Amino acid sequence: MSSSTREEILRHLDAVGQLQPALHKPTQAPAPTEIDHTLYRAYTRSAHDVGGEYDVPIEYHEKEEEIWELNTFATCECLAWRGVWSAEERRRRQNVDVGQTQYLGLPYYGRWLMTAALIMVDKQYVTLSELSDKIEEVKNRHV
Amino acid sequence: MSKPVYDRTHHAKMATGVGDPQCFSGKAGDAKFKVGDRVRVRDLPDIFYTRTMTYARGLEGTVVELVYESPPAENEAWDNTEVSEWFYSVVFSQHDIWPAYSVGYPNDTLETEFSERWLEAV
Repeated sequence: MSSSTREEILRHLDAVGQLQPALHKPTQAPAPTEIDHTLYRAYTRSAHDVGGEYDVPIEYHEKEEEIWELNTFATCECLAWRGVWSAEERRRRQNVDVGQTQYLGLPYYGRWLMTAALIMVDKQYVTLSELSDKIEEVKNRHV
Repeated sequence: MSKPVYDRTHHAKMATGVGDPQCFSGKAGDAKFKVGDRVRVRDLPDIFYTRTMTYARGLEGTVVELVYESPPAENEAWDNTEVSEWFYSVVFSQHDIWPAYSVGYPNDTLETEFSERWLEAV
């Protein structure tokens, strides 16, 4: 392992530490009695059900779709066309299964793309090691 | 050990040339509610997946349309499409939803859809 890999790993651990759910108090390994009904419901809600939650205003940006975004959309529609998922299963996976942190933190089509890759693994069209090898191969092509 | 084999095109076979939700037409049986009925949104468990917004739970509104028949979203999200339900469009007063809604707009409404399991008669 090169030192640049170690540097990336340490940067990664630092970034993950900053993504802790924002309960604004320490939350590691709570005792069962610390999770009352209100907290249980808050933790187990669907991440995409944000209507009525408090938040700061978001600035609206007009933005053209990029090629990778259009390709991602076409890929996901082909997966539907070939019966790999329905629109509802896709929404469940890309809006809820990704979890709160990714739902709020990744770009819209980034979630589509991650989810398209995951369903191929979940439904055994590719193995995770095949996918990892391919990502590594493509990455090295662009070093 | 061999992998399980599913017919992953079963939904496409159903919907090709017909459309979705048209392919579920006639599969939900008699509708429990009709246009004009007052209904309340149930506060059912919402673990794993739902399309019934938290802010709508417990609200009372009026059915304005029976829109289509389809498997409820909670089932279709795992590709369970054997059982269909009626979907209803329901109108609520914005003042019933948001405690701090401006008094300057007393006639504002919100209209949204629920499958039958989410509604009860008032």
